[in-house]
Amino acid sequence: MSPSTADGRRRMTGAVMAAPALVLFVLFGVVPLAGVLVLSLADWDGLGPLGWAGLVNWRDVLADGATWDALWLTVKVMALSWLIQTPIALALGLFQAPRGRGRAFFAVLWVLPLLLSAVAIGLTWQALLDPSFGIGSAPGLGRLARPLLGSPELALYVVIFVIAWQFVPFHALLYQAGIRQIPATLYEAAALDGAGRKDRFLRITLPQLRYTIVTSSTLMLVGSLTYFDLIFVLSGGTGGPGTATRVLPLAMYITGFQSHDMGAASVIATVLVVTGLVLSLITTRLSGFTRMDSRQEGL
Amino acid sequence: MWALSDQTILKDSVEAYNKDHPDKKITLQLFANDDYKQKLRVAFGAGQAPDIFFNWGGGALNDYVKAGKVAEITSADVDHGRFTPSVLKTATFDGKVYGVPCNGLAPVVLYYNKKVLGQAGLQPPKTWDDLLAAVKTLKAEGVTPLSLAANSKWPTLMYTEYLLDRIGGAQVFARIAAGDASGWNDPAVTKATKALQDLVDAGAFGDSASSMNYDQGASTALVYTGKAAMTLMGTWEYANFVKAAPDFVSGGDLGYTVFPTIPGGVGDPGAIVGNPSNFLSVNAAAGDKAVAMTYLKEYVLNAAQVDAYLKAGSVPPVNGLEAELAALTTADRPWLEFVYGLVKKAPTFQLSWDQDLPSEQADPLLTNIDKSFLKQITPEEFGQNMSKAA
Amino acid sequence: MTTVRALHRAVSGGAALVWTAIVVVPIYWVVVTSLRERAEFVTSSPLALPGDPTLANYQTVLSGGFAGYLLNSVIVTAATVAVTIVVSLMAAFVIVRHGSRWSRLYFRLFLLGLAIPLQAVIIPVYLLIIRMSLYDSLLAIILPSAAFAVPVTVMILVSFLRDVPRSLFEAMVVDGATEWRLLLDLAAPLARPALITVAVYDGLQVWNGFLFPLILTQSDERAVLPLALTLYRGQFGIDVPATMAAVVLSTLPMLAVFVLARRHLVAGLTAGFSK
Repeated sequence: MSPSTADGRRRMTGAVMAAPALVLFVLFGVVPLAGVLVLSLADWDGLGPLGWAGLVNWRDVLADGATWDALWLTVKVMALSWLIQTPIALALGLFQAPRGRGRAFFAVLWVLPLLLSAVAIGLTWQALLDPSFGIGSAPGLGRLARPLLGSPELALYVVIFVIAWQFVPFHALLYQAGIRQIPATLYEAAALDGAGRKDRFLRITLPQLRYTIVTSSTLMLVGSLTYFDLIFVLSGGTGGPGTATRVLPLAMYITGFQSHDMGAASVIATVLVVTGLVLSLITTRLSGFTRMDSRQEGL
Repeated sequence: MWALSDQTILKDSVEAYNKDHPDKKITLQLFANDDYKQKLRVAFGAGQAPDIFFNWGGGALNDYVKAGKVAEITSADVDHGRFTPSVLKTATFDGKVYGVPCNGLAPVVLYYNKKVLGQAGLQPPKTWDDLLAAVKTLKAEGVTPLSLAANSKWPTLMYTEYLLDRIGGAQVFARIAAGDASGWNDPAVTKATKALQDLVDAGAFGDSASSMNYDQGASTALVYTGKAAMTLMGTWEYANFVKAAPDFVSGGDLGYTVFPTIPGGVGDPGAIVGNPSNFLSVNAAAGDKAVAMTYLKEYVLNAAQVDAYLKAGSVPPVNGLEAELAALTTADRPWLEFVYGLVKKAPTFQLSWDQDLPSEQADPLLTNIDKSFLKQITPEEFGQNMSKAA
Repeated sequence: MTTVRALHRAVSGGAALVWTAIVVVPIYWVVVTSLRERAEFVTSSPLALPGDPTLANYQTVLSGGFAGYLLNSVIVTAATVAVTIVVSLMAAFVIVRHGSRWSRLYFRLFLLGLAIPLQAVIIPVYLLIIRMSLYDSLLAIILPSAAFAVPVTVMILVSFLRDVPRSLFEAMVVDGATEWRLLLDLAAPLARPALITVAVYDGLQVWNGFLFPLILTQSDERAVLPLALTLYRGQFGIDVPATMAAVVLSTLPMLAVFVLARRHLVAGLTAGFSK
């Protein structure tokens, strides 16, 4: 067998192997992405024929204060989620990492929220926080017997808390895994140098965890663009009270599937995509998204 | 055919039809309430809509009519004269009927816990001033005067609907529903919105209203547990009380009355709002329209079905039911007579606004109602926002 | 020194307890509520044990078509995970084995895909599904779900396979192995921990997915569990204990998987995400 035919066959096989993922992703990822752009220029109520609208949807949606409110809420959810979840997940990861029966017991309990679906979590917390029949009527917890999800000022923070409740376990697992990978020799060397707990944490643990931090942060940030299910259920599908929890995905859903303005909804979707792209561009630029794209310039 | 999953009587009628017509059966698909409307819309968009579909009439049905998706139901197909005119109007557009009423009347009424009102030495409120006075007394007693699931938004809308009807009369919203957006700036709209905010300021809804989602049942539970005195809700709430707290109803503790009158209001005090009824409409692209029409004519609200509804505790919008009602032996009779009398005497029966307006205005309406309830916007801003959204 | 350490232990132990309470109390509440009678729910103290525990709520849920919803969820999850894993493993293998411009471009496409929120493209996906006559079928959930799981799966598998020494591949090539053999006999077994991780990760996402089923299916017969939870709430009307029983039942399968795969999950996370 001559090298060139072997090489050719290798390439052929490669193309065959690469094709299914490509087809799937292009069909349901790239084509719809183009579709969103096209629809954002269309006038369509989901029932009748598609009409051409030009930039009218864009003008209307961008001129609508509600869009910017939704974007701002999304950014707020994103930033606060990261600020709250990262330290807790890191702390829990540090606690879980050493092996031992006691710690393993905690670890099993802590992972439980991960197993509940967002819908289940939403229904649970909605009932739990009901001021009349929820947890607030338990002795000693009277402070919770107030309209938490009903307060325009507090609802968003309650949502952010519930999001943290749902996702911290996953990120804690990530950190636990990361911490377990740090070679013990590093700590031994530092101990010989007489480094204290704080020093060891700052000089060894944190730097060694940098990839974990990047991975976890990226998943958190990009993921926060997609918090739809939980908020949908917690707010009874309305993004309320008022519009206090109407983040971009919810605004898009309501515009498209309740008000039946698919054009305007597609504009919001485009904003969502652009936000996502900008975000991942920033995180990858800042960090060089893990090792695998270190060979690639850009992106 | 598509309908909601709680429509068991409708299901029986389809089975009866199928038994009589084994060669041309109707298949029935049942859905939960929450996203039925969205599913229906999507199915029409996908060209997979059912031949017969359950709906609320009003602007949402008119959307489909305007898109040419719904077949007219002429008086040759189904006798229009059998049904309560104020109800049939909800499915009539440009003088043509597009839906047949298919279940019970669902006006919104004021429910109250007799024990709680009695302990506070109160009568059910007849006027707005009665209501405000009752709010004060009940608050002093440590009871939430009015239980409201404001988190769901649409229960709050019921107050605004009644208030506007009482203050400005039915024609104010009729003008808006006809497409005149400037109607939102009518002073009566501002007054009605203001009246609701006054009620909020008076503490009528307690602290928890904004957190309560209707589907969770807390707003119902507050009334039968005596933590709240009254609640404004559609007639389906009666069935909820029966289901959740049978002793409360059979013990005679549940009271119901009409929405109070308002001093200086020009609206008819007998006018009602709510859901006149649900309707069955026929897909314009239906494979066999004759089948659909036969079903609608002979099986929907026929004598057997009317009887079944009455036994189940709801009154269908059919003329001349007095004798049947009087002959009932069930415990629900006073309730049914109350509802039937209410509708019969009502000069107008306004469909819930979120159903009556074109669907793209439903969300802005509910959002602005909620914002005004939360006092994030003034009554004037409510009108301005709505006229802009229309 | 020892007092400082004791203090540290006390603080970290205390914090661990606080978080445990935050996690466990709601779950405890779900379980006890699901065992309460409906009438008791509105009168009892929320955290007290049920006075007269009942399984009636579970009966309500189970007789409400639970088995069908569960089956749908299992089918959708298993099929999505299988499709995702197979196509992603092949893709990752190609990316690692071929250093060409095309394969780099190919990889970059998936990295870009990481940033596309699935919510944003739901309207065109919905149109596409209608055009493909897949609307209201389980396949309507499976295909898009798999497509959106591919980018992150490829990324993890690539980062894992990159660590496989090239010499291992070369040795097999010298022995005359085809690319398919390399994939099946070398890459797949070596990537096992990462495969388990992504399977669990993708599986969780699909199992809990709500938006695709919400938009792309309509009938009761095609409803998956998360959708069924919202349906249940509508059906039961105002029955919190029954809703909580549905929550518990919908979580049990995941709990079982977790108990079985816990070790692999942690090991896999170590291998897949953290380097």
